[in-house]
Amino acid sequence: MAESTPALVDVFKEKAALVAAKVTEVADLSQAMRYVVQISEEKPPCELLAPEPGTQLGPLSENNLPTRIQPIIAAPDLDDEGFFALEKTCKAKGIRCIRNGLHRYLAGFDVGLVWAQFAIADSGTCVVSTTDEEVRLATMICESSVLLLRKSAIKANLASIAPQLRILQGTGNPESTTFITGPSRTADIERVLTIGVHGPLELHIILLEE
Amino acid sequence: MQPDILKSSAAYHESLHESLENTFLRKTLDKFAVDYRANRTNIFLDVPERELIAQIAEDRDRSCKRLDELYQQFKKEAEKRGAKVHFAETADDANEIIAQIAQDNKVKSIIKSKSMTAEETLLNQRLEKDGLEVTETDLGEWIIQLRGEPPSHMVMPAIHLSRDEVAEDFSRATQERLSNDIGKLVKVSRRELRPKFIQADMGISGANFAIAENGSIALVTNEGNDRLVTTLPRVHVALIGIEKLTPTLEEALTALQMLPRNATSQRLTSYVSWIGGGGAACKNAYGQRQVHFVFLDNGRVKIAKDPLFSQVLRCVRCGACANVCPVYRLVGGHKMGNIYIGAIGIILSYFFFDKDKARILAQNCVGCEACSDVCAGGIELPRLIREIRACANDEEGSPRVESLISSVMKNRSLFHTLLKFAKFGQRPVTGGTPFMRHLPHIFAPKHGFIALPALARHSFRERWGKICPSVPDPQKHVAIFAGCAQDFIYPEQLEAAVKLLAAHNIAVDFPDAQTCCGLPLEALGQRALKVEVARQNAKAFDSLYYDAIITLCASCASHIKHAYPKLIESGEDAFRTQAFSQKITDFASYVHDELKLGAESFIASGEKVCYHASCHLCRALGVRTAPRALIQSCAEYVPAAEEELCCGCGGSYMLKFPEVSSQLLDKKLEMSAATGASRLVVDCPGCIMQLRGGAEQKGMKLKVSHLAELLAENMKP
Repeated sequence: MAESTPALVDVFKEKAALVAAKVTEVADLSQAMRYVVQISEEKPPCELLAPEPGTQLGPLSENNLPTRIQPIIAAPDLDDEGFFALEKTCKAKGIRCIRNGLHRYLAGFDVGLVWAQFAIADSGTCVVSTTDEEVRLATMICESSVLLLRKSAIKANLASIAPQLRILQGTGNPESTTFITGPSRTADIERVLTIGVHGPLELHIILLEE
Repeated sequence: MQPDILKSSAAYHESLHESLENTFLRKTLDKFAVDYRANRTNIFLDVPERELIAQIAEDRDRSCKRLDELYQQFKKEAEKRGAKVHFAETADDANEIIAQIAQDNKVKSIIKSKSMTAEETLLNQRLEKDGLEVTETDLGEWIIQLRGEPPSHMVMPAIHLSRDEVAEDFSRATQERLSNDIGKLVKVSRRELRPKFIQADMGISGANFAIAENGSIALVTNEGNDRLVTTLPRVHVALIGIEKLTPTLEEALTALQMLPRNATSQRLTSYVSWIGGGGAACKNAYGQRQVHFVFLDNGRVKIAKDPLFSQVLRCVRCGACANVCPVYRLVGGHKMGNIYIGAIGIILSYFFFDKDKARILAQNCVGCEACSDVCAGGIELPRLIREIRACANDEEGSPRVESLISSVMKNRSLFHTLLKFAKFGQRPVTGGTPFMRHLPHIFAPKHGFIALPALARHSFRERWGKICPSVPDPQKHVAIFAGCAQDFIYPEQLEAAVKLLAAHNIAVDFPDAQTCCGLPLEALGQRALKVEVARQNAKAFDSLYYDAIITLCASCASHIKHAYPKLIESGEDAFRTQAFSQKITDFASYVHDELKLGAESFIASGEKVCYHASCHLCRALGVRTAPRALIQSCAEYVPAAEEELCCGCGGSYMLKFPEVSSQLLDKKLEMSAATGASRLVVDCPGCIMQLRGGAEQKGMKLKVSHLAELLAENMKP
């Protein structure tokens, strides 16, 4: 399998931008985590789209919905080292960091962080494959979806990735693979494009050097 | 509930007026038609469109020959992953299976993501009968669910609605006063539907592909609703037409390069979800989410065996055929299908729903071939629609009329005599006996939107003796296929062509035994006769002798080239027919590609000339460069907007649907006039009749000519 080249990275960045994904390059994982925390800090408070008994409610959003006082970052597939580092930073900033039990927060949470197994340059697409429901929820229920992607995992085009897809999907066990190309969107009302429907309102892709 | 607009032909026509007068709909669809073309052209720059279409067609055709095998393979793999697989022979069976799954799992509320197949089986109605709450979650589908309407497009179900209408619907549903700000309205749907997602016991989806090699399905979406529908509830049911069975991931990825591009001009939708079996479900006491795949036959197995119609199973439900349809653009989706919309909608209506209603719908096609030009699966949509129309005509034809037409068609001089008789009885151009494009048709005139042409005083075949040129030392020999319109109504166009050819040292023949090409006979329900006239025409020409057989009617050319070889495939006339159809050449191509006439062959008239690309020339025959280059070689060619948009003639269409035809005509004349040109040039006598007649009726100064006339006028002396 050919290594990804600088040219492929550029194509990926260009095409991802076209679909309203925000791409950031970082040197290492700790820089990535700092960026994730920054996303949480800079975004408006998370709207609660359903009742969540026991949760402290903040002021109403501009859509007249209750919001979270304490932001939540979900990171279900970081390794222990990565998760504890993130959790430590979050604690200091009053952010709640969780790695499971996401089904308790279906009303919505601020940031969902997961790994993308590989990407497709010519459409700016990230591919997330998992057998863990928590990972799926982390990319669906959050307002800001964040994907970690190694530059070396960027493939050229859709036509060429059947072998990778086959390996990820496997056989004989339940599995879910999702191609993610930008945040959720619709043009169902008068064909006017609106970003952010039922899924995430934003998509961030963090490109890791190696 | 919607009124039944297809209960009769008359009811259907009346319903069209409603659409034509809906200014919002007209404006929206107009803008969409233009935007879609531009966006589509752009998004296809990075992939080989024609190769992809050919590959998809081949893949699908191959799969449809072994659906049972693929189903068994899929079932085995999916069951390994813990999913349950069901086969439903009919729509009712599918509904019952799903209703039973709901009952077995004590389901009370259901969320749905978009599924055309579920609309086909009327699944919601069945489930609601059991007292289940079913909520559509695709934004467009949710909007029309609130309104109790069917979708008006396969991909954009609510395209016919304005933001004001949506705001009203949402306000009613939420009991709040909502503004028509689209961003805010979308947020309302996010807010209203999230609780439904959370509370639902069961999620129902469709599937775009069912991968046999590993028992997974793929869903192609943008909103994120399908992901929630297939993840949150404790039961997931996917309803899947069996033609979605795809052997390998490679084939799915090929189709995936086409589907989003053709549907919404995207490289990929926001999400492509590949679902293999169940997963740890948050709510289910047993841990695993139940996953059921229900495959639907509903006639598809039978269609797969049909030699002509099996190709409809190549449809990937992209909606492109509606997006480029000039009739859809005017009347909208509620008038162009039953659940499935557009050209494919007309055809599927015939197979899945009501044959009589489908036949009424099938009349409303102008035959411009814009749909097949963009079809992801390369389906011969216009041909299949004609076939459905012909089924109707076959049953309605009367034996007496049949034998009269038969004698007339086969006996050209009898035909001619009848026409001459009709000619003397006719009144002058405005308000005389109307003509179909090729044949006389005694008719009560309600078609005042064009000034109809008179029969020529002397037909081309009558004049041939006098005008046959003498070319002593010809460089080439050609023959003329006249076609009815130019033989009897516009002989001057053929004469112009003959003049030009002779001047360039080409010997021209006009074999007398030729007759109508046969294209209009289908509209009269004369399928057997169509074959006979094909045979007669092939016999009339010594095809091997001529360098080319030239015709100035693009429709005749296209019919002879594409249909003739299929009409006479075997037997002693097959070779002759093949040779004939191969030699047939449209006038523009011959003059430009063979004679290679250019600016040096003509005087530069300096006249501003614009162009209308006749449907059969630009799409059916793929001829685009030659006519424009030839115009430019003797005049100043001024490009018009949407040159390839149909003029609305469509043969008998202009008689059957004058209310739609006249709108297309208006648009064409408007765009032509906007160029500031003094003349409009076309390649087809049908277009001449429509456009010249319309220009005359409106008192426009625009002169409408056949390309041959323009060239002959500007020949070097």
